[in-house]
This record gives sequence, structure tokens and C-alpha cells, in this order.
Amino acid sequence: MQTSFLQGLGKMLLDRSIIVLFVIVFLVFGLLSPQFLTLQNLLNILVQSATLIILASGMTFVIITAGIDLSVGSIMLVVAVISGKAVLDYDLPLLVVIPLGMVLGLCFGYLNALSIHRLKIIPFIATLGMYYVARGLGLLISETRALNLPESYTWLGNTPILGIPLPVWIMAVVVFAGHIILSHTTYGRQLYAVGEDAVRARKAGVKVDRIIIGSYVLCGLCAAIASLVATAQLGAVSPTFGDQREFTAIAAVVLGGTSLFGGTGKIFPGTLIGAILIQSIESGLVMVSLDPYLYAVITAGILFFVVLIDSIKHQRQNRKSAKPLLKSSS
Amino acid sequence: MKQNCSIIYRLWPCLVLFPLLWCCQPKDDRLTIGVSFETLQTEYWVTSINAIEAACEKHNIRFLSAVSNGDANRQFEQVNNFISRGVDGIIIAPKDGNTVIPVIKAANRANIPIVLYNRSPAKDIGQYVTVAANNYDIAFHTTKYLCELARQSGRQWKALELIGNLGDINAVERSKGFNAAIAQYPNDVEVVAAVPTEWNQEKALAGTTNALQAHPDIDFIFSASDFLIPPIVSALKNADKYHPIGHEKHVLFGAFDGDATAYQLLKEGYLDADGVQDVFFECEASVQAVVDILKGNPPEKVLVDPGFVIHTKNLEAMAPKMWGAAADHK
Repeated sequence: MQTSFLQGLGKMLLDRSIIVLFVIVFLVFGLLSPQFLTLQNLLNILVQSATLIILASGMTFVIITAGIDLSVGSIMLVVAVISGKAVLDYDLPLLVVIPLGMVLGLCFGYLNALSIHRLKIIPFIATLGMYYVARGLGLLISETRALNLPESYTWLGNTPILGIPLPVWIMAVVVFAGHIILSHTTYGRQLYAVGEDAVRARKAGVKVDRIIIGSYVLCGLCAAIASLVATAQLGAVSPTFGDQREFTAIAAVVLGGTSLFGGTGKIFPGTLIGAILIQSIESGLVMVSLDPYLYAVITAGILFFVVLIDSIKHQRQNRKSAKPLLKSSS
Repeated sequence: MKQNCSIIYRLWPCLVLFPLLWCCQPKDDRLTIGVSFETLQTEYWVTSINAIEAACEKHNIRFLSAVSNGDANRQFEQVNNFISRGVDGIIIAPKDGNTVIPVIKAANRANIPIVLYNRSPAKDIGQYVTVAANNYDIAFHTTKYLCELARQSGRQWKALELIGNLGDINAVERSKGFNAAIAQYPNDVEVVAAVPTEWNQEKALAGTTNALQAHPDIDFIFSASDFLIPPIVSALKNADKYHPIGHEKHVLFGAFDGDATAYQLLKEGYLDADGVQDVFFECEASVQAVVDILKGNPPEKVLVDPGFVIHTKNLEAMAPKMWGAAADHK
């Protein structure tokens, strides 16, 4: 009786490992630094996570199709540079600059999709190519100089609506829209089907190519929105802007329970929690005034722990699904 | 086979013309220096490579350049290409102190003088000359100036340090210089937070925001690079702590490098002091070192740029030497 209770508890904890860890991280940092659990700090964490959540939301679409997009950080840079230049050199209003940036993101996403779909280049290589092209373009246009943005641009990153900063609202809209698309539309269902087994999905009449193109286009769009939000928060565009953001976004998606093999995963709550967890760890480490040399070790340790638990969970699931097969074959 | 012959038949004019044109090129008797930079991703590096090019022109030296975009292996290949092309000297701004060691060995084997710009090797191996700023001293004196201001106020100040990349010897030396100066003022300044930024503006923004959240009484900030100033300003504005010198809420603010943003903030009275690397001295010394080695008069193994501290009181006198103020003092 006791054994089955413990087994059940273990299974429950394993199934909800990300939430359990999320709670542990908040409790530990809360105990070590009283300011960590204040409403203001929790809001800060949300504001700081906004960019990553938006970026990771787009990445979730791509990873569900068993793809990957390594170019999002570079798309962020090129969008930021062109938008910044549009404001600084051509004095364009934000009402023009924001749609311009979003269209740019869509275009880069579409170019990624075309090279994957038409040229049949595997996503890793196609988006790696775009990583270099977009970063190179960004550096070329900016002449590798930092752009300091005017106040008229940065209000986007600070203005509160109902006491909540605008980036959080933008993030909420993206998460909500992403969640609706994945859970309540035909496109969402077909996306999972393609990620699960593209050949079967094609046989079932799903237009696989369109689904995949759509995922990369959405990912490009999210990268552009993330770029606009981040530059507005920073007040500047440096040539290193967006560098390695793709890896943090992928980490947030995987932490949120989306499988790199495709077919499973959710933006809400999965990716949302994954991204907030990453940001909370960074915030908490500063709050508790830890030795800066330990930051990387602790962050990597926590991420490794989550992925390890996830791996154990998947191994158990695989063993379970293999058992009936073995029985039936014997 | 037939097709190959046909291609050769069509291309024979080119096959003849190219070597002919190559031989007929006017002979360039000038010395050639190959310059390899690991990055051009901040204003500092762009100004540096331009200043080296100008110094080469002044010495009537042919200038070849390559940028490895943060890839140490690529930088090694680029230096090998320089060696194959038979350059007379190499100036390298290495990715870091360890990966430059095989580069030094390769240049030594080819008997080509090599000058390390801005970063020293991790081990003293082989023949080379290093031209670098005294990061420790410049950071020490900049911080000392800020601490003196703090002491004059007669109360204790709470400091935040923004560290660069902990794998970068320059960042580490700046941090050591900062802490050594602070240690001399135990009753005047207390370091309450240290944030490793990895030379990333987004991390600097999040880190400063978190530190201000954990320690709302922070009123003293030192940044390891001017490149991180825009996100710090953004965080200070959000916390209502961005006020000019003389304002009761003014935060004592110091940074390091000497770029245009720092110069602007010094003029506007938001930045109290900036440690300046004398880029023009360092670049001229690098080219001169190659020339001297080729003439058989090798300079000292380490040529130190002592740098200087610029602050509101000596701004007018020192600005012409500050590379970020070059546009104002042509």
C-alpha cells in the first residue's frame, strides 16, 4: 500500500517535474532573499522574460514539427538594426516602424521555410545559413556600430497599461494567440500530426509543406516582435544584440516539455514556464548576491537536472509503450 | 573526357591571361601587415581597426585584414593564410589568451613578427609583443575617483559592479582594479551586488534591474565597459534613479573604454568618470612594434597603454585624447 503510494507520488512528481522545479526555485530564492517574492520583483521577472517568451513561442511551433530555427537571434538583430535606422536616419514614426519590423520577420521566416521546403535543405543547415546571412546583414547595415535609440522608441518598453508594463501585455497576446492556434485550430492539430509522423500526415491529406512553411513564418514573426520589444527595453541596438538567443529560446521550449523529436509540446503553460524559469534563475542569482563565477555552474546545473528528469520520464514512457508490444508479439 | 577538353578549349584564353596579368602586376615593394581581429562588434574594435589601417598608411605599409567573428579556429586559419601569403608582420586582436598560443607558435615558425593587440597570451611562450591597456590600473583609478566623490559626501554608498565576461582577462583585470580601489574605502563604499554580463546588453539590463530591486539603496555603479551604458541607463530610468550630477537622487556612475556614448553622458553630467583606453596610442604602437622588429630593434615584450581617467572636471582638457570624442575634436 505504502509502496504504491510512493510510486504514485514519484510518478506525479516526475510528470510535473518542471512545475515542481519551478516551485522549488521560487521557494529557495524566496527564502534566501525576501525581495525575490515581492510583487514588484515577480513583475520584473515577467518583464524581463517577455522577450524570451515571445521568441520561444515562435520556436515552439517549429520544434513541434521536429524542426529547429537557429536564425532567430540573427533575425532579431537585423530587424532591430533596420527598425533603429528607420527611426534614427529616416525619422519614421513607430506606427510605420513596428509593422515594417514584423514584415521583415515574416520575410526571413518565409525564406527559411522556402530553403527547407523548396530546396530540401534540412532545417538545421538552412537556418544556420540564415543565421550567418541575417547577422552579416545586420552588421553590414549597422557598420558594426551601436545605435542609441530615442525616447520616442523606448516608450514601448516601459509604458504601463493598468499598472502592467507593455512588454508583458505583448507577451500575453503572443502566448494567448499561440495557445489558441495550437489547441483550437485545424492548423494546430495538423502541426502536431506533421511533427508526430509527416509521412502519415501526408497520407491523411494534410498539406505538410504548408504546415511547415507556416511554422517558420510564425517563428520569424515572433523573432521580429521579440526584437522590437527587446530594443525598446534596452534603448540601444548593439552588434551583439540577439547573439545566442536561439539557444536560450530552444532551452525554454525544451524545459517547457516540448520534445525535440516533434509531435508534442505546448506554449501555455509549457514554454511560458520554461522561459520564466530561466529568467527567474538569473534574477534569483543576482538577488542572493552569489559569487558571479558560480552563476553559469548553477544555471547549467538546474537546466541539466530538468533535462535529466525529462529524459527519465521519456524512458519510462517508452518502456511502458514497448511492454504491450512485447506481450502482443509473444 | 571530351566534355573536359571542351571546357579547357573554351577557357584557354583565361588560363593564359590570368598568369600573364599576374606577372605584369606592378611590383609592390611595401611591407605588408596582416591584421586579424576576433570581432568588430563594438565601437572600440571598429575604431581600433580603422586606427591600425591609418597607422599602416602613415608608415606606407600595405594593410590586409580579417575578422573571425568570435571563432578562435577561424582566426588561426586566417593567420595561417597571412603566413601563406608571405606577410611581413601580423597584428592580432585575439579571441582570448589561450587560443592565441598556437597562433604565436605558427608565426614564430614562419619567422614573422607578431603583435598581440589588446589581450595578452595566457602563457609567456615564444616571441611576441603585446600592446594592451593597463586594465587594472585604469579601472582602479576610475573607481578611486568615484570613491573620493563618495567620501566627500560623508555617508556610505552602496555599489553595483557590472562585470564583463569572466573568461576575458581584460574583464577580470578591470574587476580586480575596481575591487582593489573599493577596498581602500571600506567606510565609504560597500559593494552589494556584482553582475556578470558576458558583454551582453540584455544581461546587463536584467542584472541591473534585479540588483536595483534587491538593493533599492544602490547609488554607485561601475560598468566594465561603456558598451553596457545604454541598458544601465534604461534600468536607472525605470527605477527613477537617472538624474544628473548635483541632483539628490544622482547615482555615482563610472565606466570603462572611452566611447562616444560615455563622452556624451560626461558632457550631459550623467556619468561621473570614465576610464579611457588610448586607442590611437595602442594602434600606433602595434604598427611601430612590427616595423621595429623588422628593423632589428625589437621593443619591450609588453607595451602598456597607461590610459587615463576622464571626468567632469578634466573633460575639456582630456577630451581630445578620448577616442569617443574624436568626432568633436577633429
